[in-house]
Amino acid sequence: MSIFEYNGSAVVAMVGKNCFAIASDRRLGVQLQTIATDFQRISKIHDHLFIGLSGVATDVQTLYQRLVFRHKLYQLREERDMKPETFACLVSAILYEKRFGPYLCQPVIAGLGEDDKPFICTMDSIGAKELAKDFVVSGTASESLYGACEAMYKPDLEADELFETISQALLSSVDRDCLSGWGGHVYVVTPNEIKERILKGRMD
Amino acid sequence: MKLDTSGFETSMPTIGFGSSNDMLDGFSTVPSFDLPRTTDFDGFQKEAVQMVKPAKGTTTLAFIFKEGVMVAADSRASMGGYISSQSVKKIIEINPYMLGTMAGGAADCQFWHRNLGIKCRLHELANKRRISVSGASKLLANMLYSYRGMGLSVGTMIAGWDETGPGLYYVDNEGGRLKGDRFSVGSGSPYAYGVLDSGYKFDMSVEEASELARRSIYHATFRDGASGGVASVYHVGPNGWKKLSGDDVGELHYHYYPVPPAIAEQVMEEAAAE
Repeated sequence: MSIFEYNGSAVVAMVGKNCFAIASDRRLGVQLQTIATDFQRISKIHDHLFIGLSGVATDVQTLYQRLVFRHKLYQLREERDMKPETFACLVSAILYEKRFGPYLCQPVIAGLGEDDKPFICTMDSIGAKELAKDFVVSGTASESLYGACEAMYKPDLEADELFETISQALLSSVDRDCLSGWGGHVYVVTPNEIKERILKGRMD
Repeated sequence: MKLDTSGFETSMPTIGFGSSNDMLDGFSTVPSFDLPRTTDFDGFQKEAVQMVKPAKGTTTLAFIFKEGVMVAADSRASMGGYISSQSVKKIIEINPYMLGTMAGGAADCQFWHRNLGIKCRLHELANKRRISVSGASKLLANMLYSYRGMGLSVGTMIAGWDETGPGLYYVDNEGGRLKGDRFSVGSGSPYAYGVLDSGYKFDMSVEEASELARRSIYHATFRDGASGGVASVYHVGPNGWKKLSGDDVGELHYHYYPVPPAIAEQVMEEAAAE
């Protein structure tokens, strides 16, 4: 198994009508053994910007701490929150700095930009940005996730429908992956509120 | 070099059928497998062994107790990280009083168990009595020993009831054969052993033993990524085997650890209109 499959992960983000949803699984494993079922893969940068990181768990945590540090500096200097597009460029630059000894993670960035327009993008481990209008996926279950999202996604879904869609896509995909699952964590973000939910999934 | 498929041979006599030999052409040749014609046979063999190696992703267990033998297994088939099936039959019914469990290559286990069933039936017909569990496991172990090093992947337990009472043997592709009271095979076996060993008593009833077996498989599916699906439990008694249960492990989790309904810490209420 490759190093990206060492801990196992599944992250997905989807765009709705003036809202977005980002979801991940909750398993932390060491190859086939499950160590924890409450691992945080999605983190908040600010109220309208979330980043989900898949890949090796230690790099997930370190990269998140680095990015929060950079964003706090930005807030002090510019006296405002970073726009999601700017943040994506920052993440891409930080990842490429380590081109010959990379962070072994693939980020998924989701945020509300100007005029509360939802923004999502994903990157590979050395910072190649990929913008999308509908959904982005990452992790060991990514192939199943692509299939499930492609089948279930519809444009301009409201927050509650978007929650249902992303949850079903996540749960059905991780049920086909040995290395991810054991529950789900979903954030649905609209201009006024953030709804965080834990999903009951198959624990095998 | 041809593989030994003597179990498939028919013992029809090849003499005394008269002039036409065309009728016998299909029967007189021994059926056998062709080996692949490659330039690098050893390299090909090595690749084949490596392909099957990670495949012992499973959890199976069996134990002897007062009332017979309890056999249980999960039902997940995985290829590396991908789950190829959640509904594989890993407990193979060799004959009405003997069961075999499957761990390792599915094709290998299915074929060799069926082959063993044939040999057991031939023994019954030749000797007018059922083969013992010891004899059946010895037949399988010897067959597998002759293919040692050729890349078979079989980690099986033969469980049955014969004249001496309940019998349980572990047989693997190296040709090893062990007699014992408790075995668990597969990537999830350490977790199953933990639950099985701490809950085991010889004097259990059938219900207690089946609950112990089910619980062991459940815990293995929780911790091991390569085990999951349905936990099947079989019991082998003096009158043969009987399937006791097949519970979906996803539902078993919430049965053992129900989620209490969450009490909302803060409830938003409509502001009273004035």
